[in-house]
Amino acid sequence: MKRVYLGIAALGALVLATVASGAGTATPGVTSTQVVIGGTIPLSGPAAAYASVGRGAQAYFKYVNAHGGVNKRKIKYIYKDDAYDPAQTTDKTRELVQQDHVFAIFNSLGTETNLATRPYLNAVKVPQLFVASGATTWGKDYKKYRWTIGYQPNYRAEGTIYGRYVAKTNPKAKIGVLYQNDDYGKDLLKGLTNGLGSKAKLIVSKQSYEVTDDQVSSQIAKLKAKKAKTLMVFATPKFAIQSYVYAHKLGWRPKVFVNAVSSAANVMGIATLGTSKKQTEGSISIVFLKDPTDAHWKRDPGMKLYRSIMKRYKGGNPNDVYNVYGMSAAHTFVAALKKAGKSPTRDSIMRAATHLTVKNDPFLLPGITVQTTSSDHFPIDQARLERYHNGHWVVFGGLFRVR
Amino acid sequence: MPLAFDWTQLAQQTVIGLSSGGTWALLALALVLIYRSTGVVNFAQGEMAMFSTFIAWSLVDHGLSYWTAFALTIAISFGGGFAVERVVIRPVERAPVLTVVIVTIGLFFVFNGAARWHWSTETRTLPNAFSTRPIHVAGVAFSIQDLGNIAVSLGMVLLLWLLFRFTKLGLALRAAAVNPGESRLVGIRVSWMLAIGWGLAAAMGGVAGMLAAPALASFDQTFMQPVLLYAFAGAVLGGLDSPLGAVVGSLLLGVFINLIGNYVGWVGNVLKLPVALAVILGVLLVRPEGIFGRPRVRKV
Amino acid sequence: MRRVLGIGAGALVAVGAVALVAFIPRLVSDFHSFDLALVGVYFIAIVGLNLLTGYTGQISLGHGALMAIGGYTTAILVTHEHWRDVWTIPLAGLVAGVVGFVIGLPALRLSGLYLALATFGFAVALPSLLKKFSGLTGGTDGLSFFEKAPGQVTGISGTVTIFGHSMTQNHFFYYLTWAIGLVGFALVWLILRGRFGRAFRAIRDSEIAAVSTGVNLARNKTLAFAISGVYAGVAGSLFVILREIVTPLSFSFLLSITLLVGAVVGGLGSLPGMVLGALFIKYLPTVSTHLSTRPGAPDFVFGVAIILIMILLPTGAGGLIGRALKPLTTWLYTRP
Repeated sequence: MKRVYLGIAALGALVLATVASGAGTATPGVTSTQVVIGGTIPLSGPAAAYASVGRGAQAYFKYVNAHGGVNKRKIKYIYKDDAYDPAQTTDKTRELVQQDHVFAIFNSLGTETNLATRPYLNAVKVPQLFVASGATTWGKDYKKYRWTIGYQPNYRAEGTIYGRYVAKTNPKAKIGVLYQNDDYGKDLLKGLTNGLGSKAKLIVSKQSYEVTDDQVSSQIAKLKAKKAKTLMVFATPKFAIQSYVYAHKLGWRPKVFVNAVSSAANVMGIATLGTSKKQTEGSISIVFLKDPTDAHWKRDPGMKLYRSIMKRYKGGNPNDVYNVYGMSAAHTFVAALKKAGKSPTRDSIMRAATHLTVKNDPFLLPGITVQTTSSDHFPIDQARLERYHNGHWVVFGGLFRVR
Repeated sequence: MPLAFDWTQLAQQTVIGLSSGGTWALLALALVLIYRSTGVVNFAQGEMAMFSTFIAWSLVDHGLSYWTAFALTIAISFGGGFAVERVVIRPVERAPVLTVVIVTIGLFFVFNGAARWHWSTETRTLPNAFSTRPIHVAGVAFSIQDLGNIAVSLGMVLLLWLLFRFTKLGLALRAAAVNPGESRLVGIRVSWMLAIGWGLAAAMGGVAGMLAAPALASFDQTFMQPVLLYAFAGAVLGGLDSPLGAVVGSLLLGVFINLIGNYVGWVGNVLKLPVALAVILGVLLVRPEGIFGRPRVRKV
Repeated sequence: MRRVLGIGAGALVAVGAVALVAFIPRLVSDFHSFDLALVGVYFIAIVGLNLLTGYTGQISLGHGALMAIGGYTTAILVTHEHWRDVWTIPLAGLVAGVVGFVIGLPALRLSGLYLALATFGFAVALPSLLKKFSGLTGGTDGLSFFEKAPGQVTGISGTVTIFGHSMTQNHFFYYLTWAIGLVGFALVWLILRGRFGRAFRAIRDSEIAAVSTGVNLARNKTLAFAISGVYAGVAGSLFVILREIVTPLSFSFLLSITLLVGAVVGGLGSLPGMVLGALFIKYLPTVSTHLSTRPGAPDFVFGVAIILIMILLPTGAGGLIGRALKPLTTWLYTRP
């Protein structure tokens, strides 16, 4: 009998030791040789098209590691599938924090998904860095959630750009809006209304759709019926493509503003294939990344680096712009990690991330500076307008602040 | 200033509703076919249709002409459905209904996972079988694609009717479904009949996917999941054992969802699905076998 | 003599189960306690579902929605009325039980697959309803405890102290769910041993025969729906308490499907099997992820596992346990 007790005691001690050693170091996720970070990406489910964000980042980290890492530490990046489902995001994030003991959460994707984990991460003081979503709240509510910071130009600012552009160039426009019925879509819409200012009445109709819908034909018909001549597409790729195709099927050819999330070259290509060159011609969007399918960047050293990393570290399809996004975010993280000092802590990386200045990110448009200060928690707030012409996006106008 | 009622819009939304219903009708037919020939509802029907669509895409991607790929996909889907029945369903042929339902749920995950394993998750497109050029009649726009999907569905209903009514195979299929025990006594190879039923349903699902993908403008591994929901609703509304019911139910559902979403303010876009499902439930309470279904007689 | 042994064996198993549940957190890491707490949540839900489907033969593919009802009741009470999270559990169960009863009424008119599809429709429709009544439910953003009522979250500081005994929040969650789970299990066991159990079994075996022996079909079937609703509501409430947040997407129709799979794999009609069923649906996807990181592999493996179990072990794990223990239980519980 005594041997049984001894055995259980020994087992217990072993387990305790293992648990203790895992949580033992002063800063979780940081040892003398590596830094462990984690994130959640939709590898399956309705947003799986964005999965390459994780792959692009991973390839970049491998490249950095091959060149000595940061302050002699290699970066280990664990990303898990949350299928774009906030319930899974909370579970997997908890797993990353409590089981994988990550130093920080990096570049988790999605608006609703990150909204679900933000309160928890801030309560346990784990940095939620460079959230892969343009929701305005990441940068706006930093006083309440000081452990969270976003990354890309935010949706409200993007909508404001479109509003200001229309108010200036087409003050008699009739605008119809298709938007996703969640924070992402509503943010863009709010921005549009702000940007139109006194001309907000130019919006003749707003139609929403649910992420779980299968088609938006009815909404497009309604927008056409309200005699809109300009169409704002604040929708994810599947529904953005449908917007073009269903408009075409109704014989309607409005001037389209398509949000950056759905402006990827392959999305526009599919839309053109399903309609005609004329249907997509003249569409407008904003851009902050270099487009890998744009011949303009063929000799650009930044994109050459991108391609070589994608090839060397097996990032996947180099023509997929979401890879560029991931790589750009990874580049920014590395800069923040360097700034966090020789012995990074969660506090020091947060300080670094909120007091960052990175010029010449090889994957962003020339002239864009990734910058945060104590009052500006929007890392990237510059972009350019682009117009779809002959099957390609062409930037026009200058670089401007997306605020 | 009172606005005149916009009849054109009503007609347009009705046409759009019919077009939506048309994208679900073929899958609903496949569901009905399996139900009629095996007494089981196949939760994996949508995922199998999605898998067929990916196969079609691969064939086109490898250089085959669209129609060759189309025909080949139908054949492959038939074979696939047949094989699934032989390998997976056969061992549970005589098990209670719930067991078979769970097996089809397992198949849902199998096909879903396999499709993501083999093909990446980017957005894809399949060529159109029918033209999407808008045709305008009295201010209402539609396209050959809309008509084509509905026509194919109705054509399938006719084909099935001819098959079941006038061919020996059809007779054997019906007999095997209704009374397997006695059918065996008469020499019908019931197992083969069930497998053929699954094969036909899978082939029909393949067509459903290949027509739905262009109708929905793009496709990926998840595109059939909402379609499956609507196909179930349409099939249940029309009667799970009626092929005509599947098509009519789907079309009615499409029109109803559209009109109620557009014309009843508080329903809007958010509530149109729950309201439609509630209405179907109401119909079932009055007529549990659906509009065209045959009432079940329970012998004591 | 044998009878005494029989009762003794039963009591020993019960005590052993309680002891095992109490001891496990010492063997696993703190994080795994949270995982096991989730297993407990699924356990509670499928014990209720088992009662409905395994004992009265009514197939429900909507139990995820009943969990959502319980979960949202808890969330609304915590964030709007500032109730303590754990005290909302009984009310959440009650509300879901009432909804279950309400569903049970039209369910009487529907049979087999039509009922399955109708409940499936309910599971599909509920997220939209939750989004619509956003004043109450928080709409697409849902309700976050951390944000709206952090003071009402038990263990938000990381530790929980009960009767002077201190433990981590994860351990607390574990004990909470399994304590409720064991009590719930015992309750169902008692119900099934009694008059209702006999009525339920009669209905499952043959509704027509049951009616002819005087069983009130309507009353018993809706009662089963209501009871299983209570269990789902409690499970949903715990689901939300564990995560401290709820959104319309928290309870997808996939959850409803998974619960049914768990109940069937665990073994319909077998209470002990439900533990294995809950472990199956929680851990198989995790295990599959370790086998292969290729996309789609975990789902593929999950599907294959379900199919194989249905083919090889149609009565589920519970059936296997029953068969293995049959010689012993026969010896213990039959008169010589």
